Amino acid sequence: MSRIIVVTSGKGGVGKTTTTANLGMALAQRGHKVAVVDADFGLRNLDLLLGLENRIVYTAVEVLAGECRLDQALVRDKRQPNLALLPAAQNRTKDAVTPEQMKKLIGALTKAFHFILIDCPAGIEMGFQNAVVAAREAIVVTTPEVAAVRDADRVVGLLEANDIKRMYLVINRLKPAMVEKDMMMSVKDVQDILAIPLLGVVPDDEKVVVSTNRGEPLVLSTETQSLASTAFANIVRRLEGEKVPFLDLTPPPEDFLSRMRRFFGQKP
Amino acid sequence: MTSDPFISAAGTPIVEQAVPQVRFKSEGDRLLLLLPLESEAAATSWADLWQQFKQRLNANERFWQAHTPVYLVARDRLLDGRQLQAIADALSDAQLYLKRVYTSRRQTAVAAATTGFSVEQQSPAQGFEAGKALAEPLYLETTVRSGVEVRHAGSVVVLGDVNPGSSIIADGDVLVWGALRGVAQAGAKGNLRCVIMALRLEPTQIRIADFMARAPEQPPDQYIPEVAYVALEGIRIARAADFSKDRLFPPES
Repeated sequence: MSRIIVVTSGKGGVGKTTTTANLGMALAQRGHKVAVVDADFGLRNLDLLLGLENRIVYTAVEVLAGECRLDQALVRDKRQPNLALLPAAQNRTKDAVTPEQMKKLIGALTKAFHFILIDCPAGIEMGFQNAVVAAREAIVVTTPEVAAVRDADRVVGLLEANDIKRMYLVINRLKPAMVEKDMMMSVKDVQDILAIPLLGVVPDDEKVVVSTNRGEPLVLSTETQSLASTAFANIVRRLEGEKVPFLDLTPPPEDFLSRMRRFFGQKP
Repeated sequence: MTSDPFISAAGTPIVEQAVPQVRFKSEGDRLLLLLPLESEAAATSWADLWQQFKQRLNANERFWQAHTPVYLVARDRLLDGRQLQAIADALSDAQLYLKRVYTSRRQTAVAAATTGFSVEQQSPAQGFEAGKALAEPLYLETTVRSGVEVRHAGSVVVLGDVNPGSSIIADGDVLVWGALRGVAQAGAKGNLRCVIMALRLEPTQIRIADFMARAPEQPPDQYIPEVAYVALEGIRIARAADFSKDRLFPPES
């Protein structure tokens, strides 16, 4: 049976789409047939992150209107043939689709794919309802910030009310050095409030910005092996049920000189 | 979600009119599912109602024997066949079954009958709601998450955390076996003797009767179980271990 997972957060800008793109690509690399669905009608981004923008012909809205077949709308990734994208319409709003239509669409995808990742829009209105209605599992993405965690908490409550019992937490953009200095919420602080199983912690990484702009998910690039891409790869292995130890994200020890300075009570 | 009940309540420490909520009440070996009156809670849409229902269902699951009959007291609420079926399905997922629907609305009665439930038109609600005494305590085994507001005409016991952004408003006491990080109000009808207890008291705000208090700007070094109560100078906090019993049961004077 295929797994239908919605990637959601409540707050915008915490990395839902980046997470969807990277997890989708990493799952495909491990031999699964993966469909990533952009449920962010009117503000679609997933195609950009995957670098598939210029290959979109039809979108989900045309499929629902009966103007094309589902497989015509699916965009296959040339670099990774196991991965397909179902794009959202850019010229419509969230009300263009109903939950029933979304359910039908996802149901049709389960016939050909093992994993279906749904990229949920920010907010908890119609777009959210559409994105979660067909999902059986959820990945809740948050950053270690009070506002993001507050919204994630609200979303967890709504997912529970929508009968999604299996939820996993991904903490994105953690800055270990700041946590060390007690300037940022730690993984434990976030877990204390949200109380759902932790799937992974992705450290803040400039390479993510570069890969996003290039339309090339981080896990795809072979020349640069970054902590963030390892984190995404680990998350995928945990999704498969494997027990993978969490990355050691403690900041590298200070050099001898700055340690001595601190010892003598000087400001570095 | 157009209206967030929490925002509207946040500014006013005293709640003039408690918004009735969906709740379960056990009566002998049967279970009543009480829906709020449509006339009292006109603003509660079906979506809100459904969410409250699911939350209460999830938070109480452990206490119900399998195959307990549930009597839906719909009162004057208009429900269609699809909604009734949704309620029945959710109940059966929790190993409960919908035995009968009580309603005072003819349309709801017709919908229930056509969907195949036994119906009693004429409200039996008076019998369930008589008296001014506090309702039996509401026991919730769940994390009360941001955006959730729990109102109850009695004491509220939460086995779990009360997260920031949520609120608990009780006419009686509020007991949290976990961390209280949201807003809690005890004695919402004005009872000064009500208390708020938590294993970890770090609330956004606490209110007892007409009094209100915020958490200190500087969080304490470590948290111990504490009790908030009303003294002459307003709301006071005491260590649970030191909280003298005669505050709970003041000597007759």
